[in-house]
Parts: sequence; structure tokens; C-alpha cells
Amino acid sequence: MRYAKLRGWQTLTGPQEIGHGPIFWSVFALVVLMLLGFPLAGSAFALSNLANFCLYVPMGIGLALLWGYSGVLSFGQAAFFAVAGYVYGILAGNLTDVPFGTLLAAAGGIGACAVLAAVFGYFVFYGQVSGWIIPLLLLVLSLILETFAGQTAGYQWRVGSVLLGGYNGMTGIPSLAIGSLEFGGAATPFYYLVMLLMLGAYLGTRMLVNSHYGHVVAGIRDDIERTRTLGYNVNFIQIQIFVLAAALAGLSGVLYVSWGNYISPSSMGLLAATLPVIWVAVGGRSSLLAVLLSTIALRWLADALAVKGGEYAFLIMGILLLATMLFFPEGIVVMLAHRLRHRPSTRRSAAKSESR
Amino acid sequence: MSAGYLVNLLYQYADSIAFLLLAALGLMIILGVVNVINLAHGELIMMGAYITTLAANAGHVSLPLAMLLAVVGVGLFGLLLERFVIRRFYNDKLGALVATWGVSLILSQGTLLVFGPSMQSVPLPTWTLAYGGYSFGGYRLLLLGVAVLAVLGAWWMFYHTRFGVRTRATMQNAAMARALGADTRRIYMLTFGAGSALAGLTGALYAPTTTIVPLMGTQFVDVAFITVVVGGGANPIVGALTSAALLALISTPLSSVFGTFTGRIGLLIAALVVIRFFPRGLSGYWQEIRYRQMTKVAS
Amino acid sequence: MQVASSNGPALLRAEGLTKSFGGILAVDHLNFTLAPGELRCLIGPNGAGKSTLFNLISGLTRPDEGRILFKDCDITRLPPYRRVRRGLCQKFQTTRVYRGMTVAQNLLIAGGGATSDRQRNGRLDWALAALHLDAERSVTAGALPHSHQQWLEICLALATVPELLLLDEPVAGMTPEETKLTARFLDDLNRQGLAVLVVEHDMTFVREIGRSVTVLHYGRIFSEGTLDEIEANHEVRRIYLGEF
Repeated sequence: MRYAKLRGWQTLTGPQEIGHGPIFWSVFALVVLMLLGFPLAGSAFALSNLANFCLYVPMGIGLALLWGYSGVLSFGQAAFFAVAGYVYGILAGNLTDVPFGTLLAAAGGIGACAVLAAVFGYFVFYGQVSGWIIPLLLLVLSLILETFAGQTAGYQWRVGSVLLGGYNGMTGIPSLAIGSLEFGGAATPFYYLVMLLMLGAYLGTRMLVNSHYGHVVAGIRDDIERTRTLGYNVNFIQIQIFVLAAALAGLSGVLYVSWGNYISPSSMGLLAATLPVIWVAVGGRSSLLAVLLSTIALRWLADALAVKGGEYAFLIMGILLLATMLFFPEGIVVMLAHRLRHRPSTRRSAAKSESR
Repeated sequence: MSAGYLVNLLYQYADSIAFLLLAALGLMIILGVVNVINLAHGELIMMGAYITTLAANAGHVSLPLAMLLAVVGVGLFGLLLERFVIRRFYNDKLGALVATWGVSLILSQGTLLVFGPSMQSVPLPTWTLAYGGYSFGGYRLLLLGVAVLAVLGAWWMFYHTRFGVRTRATMQNAAMARALGADTRRIYMLTFGAGSALAGLTGALYAPTTTIVPLMGTQFVDVAFITVVVGGGANPIVGALTSAALLALISTPLSSVFGTFTGRIGLLIAALVVIRFFPRGLSGYWQEIRYRQMTKVAS
Repeated sequence: MQVASSNGPALLRAEGLTKSFGGILAVDHLNFTLAPGELRCLIGPNGAGKSTLFNLISGLTRPDEGRILFKDCDITRLPPYRRVRRGLCQKFQTTRVYRGMTVAQNLLIAGGGATSDRQRNGRLDWALAALHLDAERSVTAGALPHSHQQWLEICLALATVPELLLLDEPVAGMTPEETKLTARFLDDLNRQGLAVLVVEHDMTFVREIGRSVTVLHYGRIFSEGTLDEIEANHEVRRIYLGEF
């Protein structure tokens, strides 16, 4: 029995995530190269759109980590996304003369999410509450935040020199910038930033879930008392994952406002709260890669629907969610991946074990 | 501190309790018996309001009859929902949550597409009572009466009917209840239908008091969810009553002094604090106390 | 008759432990001592309070009265995970392993990330080989036969580097050969210095292991001694088999 500590790169491949072996990694590398080379071939419009779809991936991965790997359903990712966006907007708008002001603002935005998540997590995880309480309370939190942000119209609602803007939202948010290099929505640097962060978030969490820590988290999901009685401070670990997921959502939020220079209460309402859940359910919460793909695909779909029939967008999302839960509970992408693995012509993966 | 002021305070408190009870009772009964959270609860309330409004305005039906139609209609829809969706998630609370969220989206967005962003509401019956310089809406007093009746009705059903006995048995130990001849499937179905009908009733009753928009369910669910969290699923009736009483006590002064929004935040904070120390809710804690009392009696 | 060596500090000491559930007094002002490195069997009729005592020791249940000392530290208020870190690990009556994960993954989790502890790894290697699990590390735990799952759970407990192992019915449902193997294994483990407290109904097993035995009845210690003494005791026969 090998007990050698799993060294960093070894955790890139493991039983907790699909996709193993040379074929997979070759395809992966190819896709990454195509993504990196896209700016040479695509229009600025296409670049901006793709960047917009991909910036949501960290948020989706965060929820997959929470729901699929840790067993905690959260409706709060949109709330953290928007909190980060608003906090970033406030800080960046006020720190315009400070060097690296936007980076400080980004840290502040993500930090605010982490703190909010830690406080919320303290109450629910140390209370050891039933699983259904967490999504309900997070839904309520989203609603309250949306209502609050919606009534902040008017000049008295400002922090420093930044207006909160009420239902119309906060406008004129400066994009992330390092010196004179600006990561604004339509620009190539932003595209590369998003690709870098998206791949980094994916590979990083992939390594996390295959590591010892990731296995403990899965153990908490599968049998919480067993994990307690093996010496783990389960409540604390649950808060850690919750905060990590919130930080990932916050990262998406900061990227979003850097892209669009704008945020509004609709980014944290009920409908916004639903979207990450749909991405993760449709992709398959047991796989980070599945969620990455479904997030991009569903964001593209929402965008396409907005053009041709915006009113139907959420109806279709609802039908998709219900249909997935009823007929493809493991997720559509995961189901396809499993079909692929069991075709006789496919090479067997290195790890034969499956874990849910 | 005049008598009128006190009565007004009491009236506001009672009004809040009624709202919380009517918004949450159906959801709590379903949670307690069937052990699932129906996230489409808000949309069921919305359906009740829409049916009432359509029947009364377009169908020219009398208001009470329109409300009855709403209760029956939403109850029947609940039966369908149970049969085709909920049934698959008996042991999967989180799955039921997500699936019913899908239903909720379909219902609210579907309503938006079919009926448009808003609809003209039924006029509010104008009965007012005056006392000590304050006037009170008679209709809202009626709502309080209905809320009390609903709780009494549920209590009577749980504790004074054979169906209620079987339902309580199913809540405690479904397998055992089945072995003793209870048709747990039917109990789940009927309970879900009843809980949905209650939601329809809430929508019907509050239809004259609010704007009829597809997303109107949200104003009910955000307090309903908190009430359910604080109450717990151990005993729906005790849970609903204690939770509503406590939460109304917190939200009424906050809302009247600082506004509805602060009231809501106060509720969320109260819920977080309560579950930190009473993770099974107030009814869970109440059950624990009863258990301990039994010990003292025995030894 | 006192069998446990009372020289030196006790490893585990329970004082006045009391626990009721509803109207039932499961553990009744129980005093209990276990010496370091001791192997003790806990027997008694059903409902005697054995599993409750275990749950009190490992922290899954809080006592109504009394306290528990482990290595002279009061652990009564400690949550289960802290007790495990101090060297106290339980194997449950209904086998608890991570059914959806492989044997290797189960051990990875139980191992706590401390993968360079040579002594522990050596012991685990030996244990896995002795219990025929070393060939099954890629097998999903839920697919293992019941006896292998129980053995796996013992190995998980070993991976936490315990000083005291609490085993609740480790041979339930095992064949006579498997029972013998388990007994020999626990004996070897005990010779290596690990204290073991076993609850069992299987008298053949207790005979294989039993050096010292404690009999529980109605939540109290009824009798203590060697297995021969216990078996010869008419009172013990009575509580098991009724008056005759």
C-alpha cells in the first residue's frame, strides 16, 4: 500500500473527477491552444462574448465544489457574485487615484464575499442544521439583498463618491487595470485574463478534489458522522469550502464588472440565483469539467435566446432544470461522459474506481 | 399610551402573525409529513391569486366563489405535482428542492408569457372599523380569522381524525405505518394536495390586497421560508404557531419603525440565531423537551 | 475479582456515568476502568447498555451525569473529533465505511494526511495483509463482503493511530473461520500495545480473546473477571438465561 503523500501534480488526475489518460489531456491541450489562439482569428465582438461566457465558470465550479463534492446545496452564489461586484465598484470608484487601486478593489470585493460567507457559514455549519435550511436561507438572503439594492436610487445612497444607483444599478465602474494595461470588456488582455483565471480555477479545484483534503470533503458528503469520528473538525471544513465557493463566485463578479463596467440588483435576485444551480444540475455536479462546459454552453444559450426570444429564456431554463432533475439526475454532460467511457473502442482510464 | 395605540399595536402584531401563518402553514405541513420542501410554494400562492382574480373579474363570479375555485384548482394542481414530480424525490430533499425550483420558474415565467406583466386586481372589500382614533381594515381582520381557522382545522385533522392518526404515524415511522396498513403513498399525495390548497387559499385571500404580478409569490416565500426554518418540520402546527408568534414579534416593531426592508433583515438574522441554537427549529426543541419530561415521569 | 492491572494510571476511566433515553435508563451511575494496553470484552444481555456506553466514550452521546477521563484528561465535554485526535477510535455496530469509495480512498481519508508516519504505515500494511484487504484496495467498499467491510473499518480506526480501540460487535455475521482470524488479529494488535475494548455476543470469540471480561446488566457493571470466572458465575447465567 503506497502511502506517499500525493504530490501536487499527481492530484491532477484522480478518481474524483472525470477525464484521464493521454487522449483526454491531448484534447484538453488542443482546446486550450485553440482558446489561446482565438484572438488571432475571432472578431472583437466574438472575443468579448466568449470572455463573458467564461467569466462565470469560477462561480459554477464553486457551486459544483459545494454541492457535488461537499453535499451542500447553495442558492447563494449569485449573492456573492453581486456583493463582490458592488464592493469592487465602490472601492474602485473611490480609489481611482491610488496605484493598483482596481487590484485592491478586487481583493476587497472577494474579501467581502469571504467574510459574508464565513459569518453565514458559522451559523449554519456550527449549528449542524439540516441540509435544506441552507438553500432556503440563501434564497431569502438573495431576495433581501436584491430588494435593498433596488431601493438605493438617489444621491443619498452613495459610498464615497460612488452612487449605488438603485434599480438601475451602478454604472461607470472602472475595469481592472495594471498601470496602463486595462482589462476592459472588449479588449484582448481581458480575454486572456479570463482564460487564465478560468483554467486556473478549474485545474486548481481539480487538484483540490483529488487531494487528501478533497477526499475528506467527499467523506463529509457521504457520511458526515464517520468523518467526525475519524478525527476531523467537520464544521470548520464545511465553512472553508463554503468560503472558497463564495470567493470563486466573487472572482466571477469582479471579472463581470470589469467586463461590463456595470452591475445591477438583477444580478443577485431570485432568477440570478437560479442560474448557477441550473448550470451545475445540467452539467452534472459530480464533475468540475462537466460544470465548466455546461456553464459556457448555457450562458451561450441564454445569450442566443436574449436575441431571438428573451421572454422565453427563463421558461426554457426552468423546463431544462426540471427535465434534468427528472430524467438526467446525474447531469447531461456527466451522463454523456459515462457513455463515452464504456464504449469498447475507448481506452480504459487509469483509475477504475468511480466515486460520487 | 392610549388604549387605541395598544389596540393598534396588537392589530399589527395579529396581522403579521396571520400573514406568516397563511404563507407558511401549507409549506410546513408538507415538510413535516412528506419531508420535502416545495420551492414552487410561492408560485402556488400566485396561482391562487390569479385564479381568484380571473374568476372574479373576467368570469364575473362572486369573490367567495372565485376563492373557492382557487383553493380547489391549486389543490388539484398540487396532486398532479406530487404524482409527477415529488414522488421521485421522497428520499432526496435537495433534489426535490431543485426540481420544484424548476417548476417554480416554469410557472412564473409561463404566467408572465400568458397573462403579461400585471393584471388588474380584484377590489378590496372596504370594511373598516374605527377605535380610539385608529381605523382598522376589516378585511385584514377576516384574514386573521381565516388564519386561526386554518390552524385549528389542521390541528383537528391531525389529532382528531383517523387520517390524522395515520399521517402522524407516517411522520414518525413510515415503514412501520405501512406495515400496519397505512397507505403512505396516498397520505403523501393528499397531504401535498392539502398543503397546496392552503397555498392557493393564501393567494386567494391576499389577492385583493396586492398587485397581481407573476412574481408576486416572492413576497410570501421570503417570510414563509424563514417561518419554516425557525419552526422546523418536527411538528407543523406547533412549529407554525411558535415561529409565527416569535417572528411577528420581531418584525412588527422593526417594520413599523424602520420599514419593511429592515423587518425582513431582522427576520433573517433571527432565523440564523435560532437555528444556531435550535437546529431542528422551535418545534424540534419543543419535541425534545416533551421527551425529557417523559423521562422525569418514568423514573 | 479485579483483573485489570491497577498499577499506574488508568487509560480510560468512567465515573458515575448516567444516560437515559425517554423513560429508559440505559447507563446507570457506571464506574469503569481500563488500563493501558489492556484487552477487555464487554458482554451482557441485550439492552444492558453496552452500545450506549461506547457512544458515551466516543462522544456521539452526551451523558446526563458523570464524567469520562482518558489518559487522565476529562474528555466529557469534548466533541468526537477531538477524542479521536487524542487516540480513541470506535468501530460501529452497523459498519460505517465510505461505501461509494474504494478501500484505498477510505484509508486515505482515515489516514489524516499524515502519510509519512512509518510506524503507522507499517502497522497498516501488516493489518491489511493479515485481514486479506491488501489485494482489494481498488474495490469499492460497498461491494466488499460484510466481513471485509468490518475489517476495513477496523483498519480505518487503526489509521487514526489510536491508543484505545472500541470495537462494537466486530464479528457479527462472520463465519467461524473469519471470527478466529479476527480474534487472532486483535490478539496480535493487543500484544503490540494497543488497548482494545470489545463488545460481543459471540462467546466463541470472547473465549478466543477473553482475558478479562466485564458483564453489564441494566446499565451497571454486574460482574468482572476472567472468562472462566464469569462462566462459572451462576448469577451471570441467570441474567442471560433467566431463573432455573
